[in-house]
Amino acid sequence: MVSVDFELRKKVMDAHIGDTLKYCYQCNRCTDVCPVSQIAPDRYNPRGNIMASFLGINLFMGQKDNFGIWGCTVCDTCDEICPQKIELTEIFTVLKNMSIAAGEGPDYYTTQASTIYDAGKAIPSQPAIERRREQLGLPKVEEPDVSEVQKILNVTKLNKILNK
Amino acid sequence: MTEYKMFQGCTIGNRIPFLEASARMVFDKLGIKTSEGPFACCPDPVGFNSVDHTSWLAMGARNLTIAEAEEKDIISLCNGCFQTLKLVNKELSHDEHEREKINKILGEVGKEFKGTINVKHFVEVLHEVGEEKIKESIKNDLSGLKVACHTGCHYNRPSEIVQTDDPLKPVKLREIVAATGATPVDYDEEVLCCGAGVGNTEEEPAMQILANKLSSAMNAGAEAIIVNCPACFQQFDTNQKKAEKQTGNSYGLPVLYVTELLALAFGMKPDDMGIKFHRTRPKDLLEKHNLA
Ligand code: SF4
Ligand code: SF4
Repeated sequence: MVSVDFELRKKVMDAHIGDTLKYCYQCNRCTDVCPVSQIAPDRYNPRGNIMASFLGINLFMGQKDNFGIWGCTVCDTCDEICPQKIELTEIFTVLKNMSIAAGEGPDYYTTQASTIYDAGKAIPSQPAIERRREQLGLPKVEEPDVSEVQKILNVTKLNKILNK
Repeated sequence: MTEYKMFQGCTIGNRIPFLEASARMVFDKLGIKTSEGPFACCPDPVGFNSVDHTSWLAMGARNLTIAEAEEKDIISLCNGCFQTLKLVNKELSHDEHEREKINKILGEVGKEFKGTINVKHFVEVLHEVGEEKIKESIKNDLSGLKVACHTGCHYNRPSEIVQTDDPLKPVKLREIVAATGATPVDYDEEVLCCGAGVGNTEEEPAMQILANKLSSAMNAGAEAIIVNCPACFQQFDTNQKKAEKQTGNSYGLPVLYVTELLALAFGMKPDDMGIKFHRTRPKDLLEKHNLA
């Protein structure tokens, strides 16, 4: 049975998209230009994601295969092509944020966020690369204030999302 | 002359710094001034934004306040950093509700986003410097070299916000390349993504997209791919072998950062810019065009 997820619906409607979403007329241009739909048509379909989000149907939560939302390569071509100026990728960000908050989604994402929380950088500085920078005549990369970064990310509750 | 805050980003700064070497050589030659700042991760518009949008806005805004304090615009060497900082800057400048929310968070560390600076991609800046000035510095005319330009997605989309170039037919990178004498080929998949994003989730589709792109460039006669983003660079350069393995095709197509191409045209030495650190060796290409 299909049930409406009101939390999803509220978040989607709240995501800075004005009221454009309801003007989606399922023309399929987004899916036509999507590079992932082109190579995996049975697994990824932005048009379907927009319809489901608008109706408040959460297609991928709790599913084993969530490529249906995480397969997006975030090329932003659909946003550009949509005749109704729907910012599809903003909606997909809502879906992904919900997926992560529910403890789902590919490891890559939480691992990277965790590194940023710990070091302030997605790729922390390392001695071998520092030496290489020196050899190439490059200045040191200035280090960010990590305690400041962590304070910010505690207020946004990223620490809770990442179980820190 | 304006001085920019240099935002090389995590990937260039802490993983493949040789790309920064060529960028700095070219900036020096063209009189583009930069200075350092204690920036954190931009953060990643594909990764971190997918985890938590509010955290992404707050971290991006924190970086912007560092440049605001010095009243300097940011120059980004990376599409991802550029897009994040540009999007956050725009969203918070135009949406009071969000700005208040984010400034409340930044208030905890004594910072406030004001929206007083601009964020630029280095290709925009090079293009502003202009063809004439680039031509004046050329020592090695690259006529005869055919290349495929790949700007990558986050340089020119979403166009309504980033306003750098045509969203589906970008021209600035092509014009910079043409100023060296090299010929940008027309190829069907020019605006196709490199596939790095989906690679975070699953490798197979990412390599399929990459292979489609490489085949299209080679069929058009390209001898190299020219990029302006470290994520695209790594996808084309480091992952090319994987794409070959998955598809059974063989490419061996060298990848050059546009600043490497310019530096070579300016007569600078491959060793000084660390070209030996490329995984897909450009040695034959450099020899063929007398650039080694
Ligand atoms: S392109 Fe826009 S209007 Fe057309 S189906 Fe996709 S989201 Fe809906
Ligand atoms: S942003 Fe995602 S959904 Fe849109 S075209 Fe690109 S891969 Fe497809």
